[in-house]
Amino acid sequence: MESVALNLAVAFVKILVILGIVLGVGAYLTWVERKVAAHIQRRPGPMVVGWHGLLQPLADGLKLITKEDLFPRYGNRFLYNLAIVLALVPATLVFAVIPFGPEFEVFGYKIKPILTDVNVALLLVFGLGSLAVYAVALAGWASNSKYPLIGSMRKAGIIISYEVAITFAVMGPIILAGTLSTYQIVVNQIEQKLWYVWIQPVAFVVYMFSLLAETGRVPFDIQEAEAELVTGFTVEYGGMKFGIFPLVEWYIEVLSLSAIAVVLFFGGWSPLNIPFLGFVDPLFFLGPLSPFVWFLLKVTALFLFILWLHWTLPRYRIDQITEMAWKIMLPLALANIVFTAVIAPLIWK
Amino acid sequence: MEYIGFLMFFAVMIGIALVMISLNWLFGPKTPQEYEDYPYECGVPLYDKCAQTTFHQGYYLLGLLLLLFDIEAAFLFPWTVVYRWLGIFGFIEMFLFILILTYGLLYAWKKGALNWQFEREEF
Repeated sequence: MESVALNLAVAFVKILVILGIVLGVGAYLTWVERKVAAHIQRRPGPMVVGWHGLLQPLADGLKLITKEDLFPRYGNRFLYNLAIVLALVPATLVFAVIPFGPEFEVFGYKIKPILTDVNVALLLVFGLGSLAVYAVALAGWASNSKYPLIGSMRKAGIIISYEVAITFAVMGPIILAGTLSTYQIVVNQIEQKLWYVWIQPVAFVVYMFSLLAETGRVPFDIQEAEAELVTGFTVEYGGMKFGIFPLVEWYIEVLSLSAIAVVLFFGGWSPLNIPFLGFVDPLFFLGPLSPFVWFLLKVTALFLFILWLHWTLPRYRIDQITEMAWKIMLPLALANIVFTAVIAPLIWK
Repeated sequence: MEYIGFLMFFAVMIGIALVMISLNWLFGPKTPQEYEDYPYECGVPLYDKCAQTTFHQGYYLLGLLLLLFDIEAAFLFPWTVVYRWLGIFGFIEMFLFILILTYGLLYAWKKGALNWQFEREEF
């Protein structure tokens, strides 16, 4: 009985930590993005609110909260609000299966820094990822206005095209690891002394393209297309209801998919890898903290890479995006599966 | 038992989402004006009140393709997990499956289903 209560308490603490990461870091990433974008364009960015604009996210949040609650008059109020729930909840739930580091001991009690270590974790990730389509489609449909409908249709088309490419792309690492559990995939990479990116570069490229497409980042942000669609499916949303969509799309989903990419291709919390020989840890002086720092560093690097792309590239047209998904990414991913199946027995030895 | 944490997280997130929805209603001003909830269309009066009538048929085709290939992905996932213990039999079996899958893709390609469906403009 006592252990059940203890388990629940541990789960509750983990949920609080994840919420802190998702909502706190997620909100502060808006500041990071604006700073990075500003420096790419050779301007200082937010400087007024706090030191170098550090309090800017709080001011933004306050502004969003104190806006009037508007609703487009011909829309469907239930679906309009349901879209927000469907956008926020699945995107955040993905963090439940992300392993932040190896198992550690507190007062003789073993704790895995992952909320639910289940053996179908990756299926859960992509199942929840697919739910994003409903949020987008409903947001445009329930607004009953033309620009949101065009934007949501574009975005839904892009998501379902790249959904196929991304599911086939992740099968390469799964074949090598022989499991769907995110925690076990990292453990297997450490045992095989191999980051899977070294023999799965094709899968990684397809995965990154799909990541950019599913999160609506440049060069795939045709559903936003400020110049023609204003902001796509969020046109009729205001205040905090509007704020949720960019927060979920641009920050929470990018963070969770980057973390999954790190788990699948970059060995999760493991330090720098020399293929088949072992690991080199320049951060050994951090002791037991080093795995967590490595995980954080890798996710940050991927996130900054995505920001870099976002603020330097032009965008594709919708027909180019979907044709690329079906004609280039899908055949590449299929070929990669066969290639992986052939060389996998060499890796297992 | 492993899913208890997941369900707790789910409940907490539903609560947070509902709070997020009601924040503006709680803290925002309530000063109704005549045209504040008018659907946005470049500032001109709406041509028709309902926008839910038309959308591009290309998206419908994308949905069909997704159904075809995502179901096949569902068949491949179990194979990827146990491939290690299946040996050469598992390889040949799945190679044939992927071959058929590729054939289906080529068929859709040849039929022009992968091309974006442009609307024909008539003058």
